Amino acid sequence: MLKTMLNGLSGVANKMAIIANAAGTLCVLGLVVILNVDVIARGVFNAPLKGTYEIVQLSVVFIVFLQLADVVRVDRLTRSDGFLNVLHKRRPKLTANLRRIINAVSAIFMGLVAYIMFPEFLHMWETQDFFGVPGVFTAPWWPIKLVIASGCALSCVIFVLKVITAQDRPQLVRIPEHKEPTT
Amino acid sequence: QETISAVVIDGYPARSLWVQEFTDFFIPEVDRRLAETGNYVMDWQENYGGSIVKPRGVLEGIQLGLGDIGIVTTIFHSSKLPSQGLAAVTPFVSSDARAVARAIDEIAREFPTMQNEFAAQNQVYLATGVVLDSYQVFSVNELSGIADLEGLKVAGAGMNLRYLEGIEGAAGVRGGLTDFYNMLQTGLVDAAQLWPEAAATFKISEVAPYMLRTDFGAVNSKTVTVNQDYWNALPDEVKEVLQAVAIDYRDHLAGIAMDIAAASEAEYIASGGTIIEVSEEDRAAWANAMPNIALELAETLNANGEPGTEMLAAYLAKLEAAGFVGVRDWTQP
Amino acid sequence: MSPIEIGLISVVAIIFLIYSGVYIPIALGTVSLVSIWLMRDNFTLSLNLLKVAVGDSAMEYSFATIPLFTFMGLIVSKAGLGKDIYEVMTMRFRKVKGGIGMATVGANAVFAAVTGSSIASASVFTKVSVPQMLAQDYNPRFAVGVVAGSSVLGMIIPPSAMLIIYSFVAEQSVGDMFLAGVIPGIMLAVAYVGAIWFMGRFTPGFVGGRVVEDTEWMSRREIASKTLPTLGLITVVLGGIYTGWLTAVEAGAAGGLVALCIAVARRSMSLSTFWDALLETGHITAAILFLITAASIYSRMLGMAGLPNQLQDMLAGNEATFWVVMLLYVLLMLFLGTLLDTASIILIVVPLFLPMIEAMDLSLIWFGIITVVGAEIGLLTPPLGISCFVIKSTINDDRISLMDVFMGALPFAFVMLIALLILIQFPILSLALI
Ligand code: NA
Ligand code: NA
Repeated sequence: MLKTMLNGLSGVANKMAIIANAAGTLCVLGLVVILNVDVIARGVFNAPLKGTYEIVQLSVVFIVFLQLADVVRVDRLTRSDGFLNVLHKRRPKLTANLRRIINAVSAIFMGLVAYIMFPEFLHMWETQDFFGVPGVFTAPWWPIKLVIASGCALSCVIFVLKVITAQDRPQLVRIPEHKEPTT
Repeated sequence: QETISAVVIDGYPARSLWVQEFTDFFIPEVDRRLAETGNYVMDWQENYGGSIVKPRGVLEGIQLGLGDIGIVTTIFHSSKLPSQGLAAVTPFVSSDARAVARAIDEIAREFPTMQNEFAAQNQVYLATGVVLDSYQVFSVNELSGIADLEGLKVAGAGMNLRYLEGIEGAAGVRGGLTDFYNMLQTGLVDAAQLWPEAAATFKISEVAPYMLRTDFGAVNSKTVTVNQDYWNALPDEVKEVLQAVAIDYRDHLAGIAMDIAAASEAEYIASGGTIIEVSEEDRAAWANAMPNIALELAETLNANGEPGTEMLAAYLAKLEAAGFVGVRDWTQP
Repeated sequence: MSPIEIGLISVVAIIFLIYSGVYIPIALGTVSLVSIWLMRDNFTLSLNLLKVAVGDSAMEYSFATIPLFTFMGLIVSKAGLGKDIYEVMTMRFRKVKGGIGMATVGANAVFAAVTGSSIASASVFTKVSVPQMLAQDYNPRFAVGVVAGSSVLGMIIPPSAMLIIYSFVAEQSVGDMFLAGVIPGIMLAVAYVGAIWFMGRFTPGFVGGRVVEDTEWMSRREIASKTLPTLGLITVVLGGIYTGWLTAVEAGAAGGLVALCIAVARRSMSLSTFWDALLETGHITAAILFLITAASIYSRMLGMAGLPNQLQDMLAGNEATFWVVMLLYVLLMLFLGTLLDTASIILIVVPLFLPMIEAMDLSLIWFGIITVVGAEIGLLTPPLGISCFVIKSTINDDRISLMDVFMGALPFAFVMLIALLILIQFPILSLALI
């Protein structure tokens, strides 16, 4: 019963991470497209797009925080795990618990970021604060705060699932990352 | 004798004019005046150059208490601090940093708007800083007048991109101060809007040896603020000293900005630059071809329930009283 | 405990945690959070610092170069252009021990003129040249080490994000800084080639690689078809930047598009490989920028501890000679380089030393080159070496550990250090072109 629930939750969280990841991936594509359009508009038609600068800033944040949960999911967050790998051969149980602790600390950290960013999102939503130059191009702050808060919240959930299932490295061969292992 | 600690923050490096004068003028002056009575002594901790916040982050840093006193660069916050845009939306009026600094500062004290905007960010307004005498146009090729700007690509940042709407076919290209040299050198843009000190610092004469003296005018871009909670806990004597020194800092900084501007123009010419004068008629024509961005701001403020129209009129009246009348009356549509 | 003590203890704590296998951004962030909490006895304040740092650290226009050049590199390698150009470039070097390594350095020096970041260089050449070297039985450590070492050229040869950051802090002309980077960059590339020759001769085991039997020379036509697409791409990106059509960010985007067109024309790109490239770009970008964000939290914590101010007081109290100051400076950068990213190092050390350098009447342009080269040694040194991380996360092969990357990069970090000392002794190398 508990196990089914956990599997269900884990499935949902992983699906959400993959969806966010796809959205972030589309942001990369959008970045390439908008910059090329701007270059052509400026160079050929002498009419640069307004707001490219702000959109680029925005997309960088979007890419990072939309992808973060998926980076956590496939265990590609930067780490130096030589020690853990060495330890794993001698004391697999201890290593698994060590990984649990590390994931728990990570979950707390991500949770804290989500916890402090979410009220920021609400505040920006209420005040409709924006950045950019009025009359030239402005973009609201709230989507940025929302993406940071939800990206970190989702990362927190995935870390929590890793603590519970003790599955730090679901598969060793990770490319392509979204195809299920066939064997 | 009581010791009061103060963490001062700015995201710009310590060598920046306004930061350096904060260290060399504001702080010693506060210390000196407090020493007269000897009741309090300040323990300053200065953190500049991104060691705690980036330039854009000072407002939030003071709001959240990462610093007690900070120098907010207001042009980053046109949404949270709209009324700080007064000088930027009224170009072609005064290129005297002292007059603009004083006028903005008086508006901040006579109308509640600016202080309310800072209060909403959990901080107290202390002083206005004007660090440049005027934006000018620096061009790669020789220009005979503003008509030659038509169809060119001109780099700018913030509100001055909107000045270009008064030039037929001119395209504004956004860039940071540090990008301008490269943008001009590579031909990404034909001209750039900069003030003389920045032009000298970044050796703009090497790539854009023609300066069109458009005299858009001085713009306030810095505000010294204090965290509200920190302020509430300060003894009255210290509050009074800080407020008095803030006014002196305002005038001191604007005065230095004017001296540096003069020296920088001389340096620009000495390093091979040419300054092209612009006639009053040309300036008036440019101003009149622009949309009235001053009224746009006033209406934005009015819509927020602030006396935008009155502030605009009062600001221009103060400059007029100081002897500066613009080539266009920005209070009229 | 004084803030300074807490600051120093935090450094030890971070090293311990990173070696224990804690995710590096998490280690940096968590330790900073706790340090401020202890320092100011105010947990809200430490949360506030976190809020500010996370909010604005990633939001930087120039950071867009990271996904864009990464994307371009991935497309280029998926389209097989890397393989082609390597076949041509290594044709003459086959019999030289470490030949492909030398070719990698040369190609990296060319690529450096197209990118502003070492991260892009590292990710591109990990994809392009590591598989080639492994296929020819080179020592994996040497293979990744060459890429790590030569990736540093990306931020020394202009355009360079780090030269721009320095010119902002020290108020020097960006154009001058770029010119100043040319000779030191080429010098370092030559030094790397020399070092590879030396290693091939005296430590052949470290280099590895098998002798390749003579193969037929390629026809002119074949050479052209293997090189022209890449040359075209470099022309678009390089030419775009130097003629002024493109900023570095835009050049990245245009390069990505051109690479994509080439790949489609060569029928080496399916929709799914295209999507994979975008996806991997996103993963790499997120991992790197999240790390940079965490490093920024950490450097802000040090700022709050007043560590930079204390250091300045300490140095100002002593009369010091040129080499004492410079050695101290290099040691400080090497030390900070173990843990901090290049931009943070520049932002912390330059303001500390700048007044002293000015007082000693030394060139600030030369000082900028010293700073950028010195700070970039940190890209290669453990436990936090961004170039090595990029390589590790790009290569995504569990047979090559992060440890292998660091060990492979070590000889190149050493060559950089020697080059740095030469640059310090001979300012003319930095100033000749200005
Ligand atoms: Na470069
Ligand atoms: Na390092």
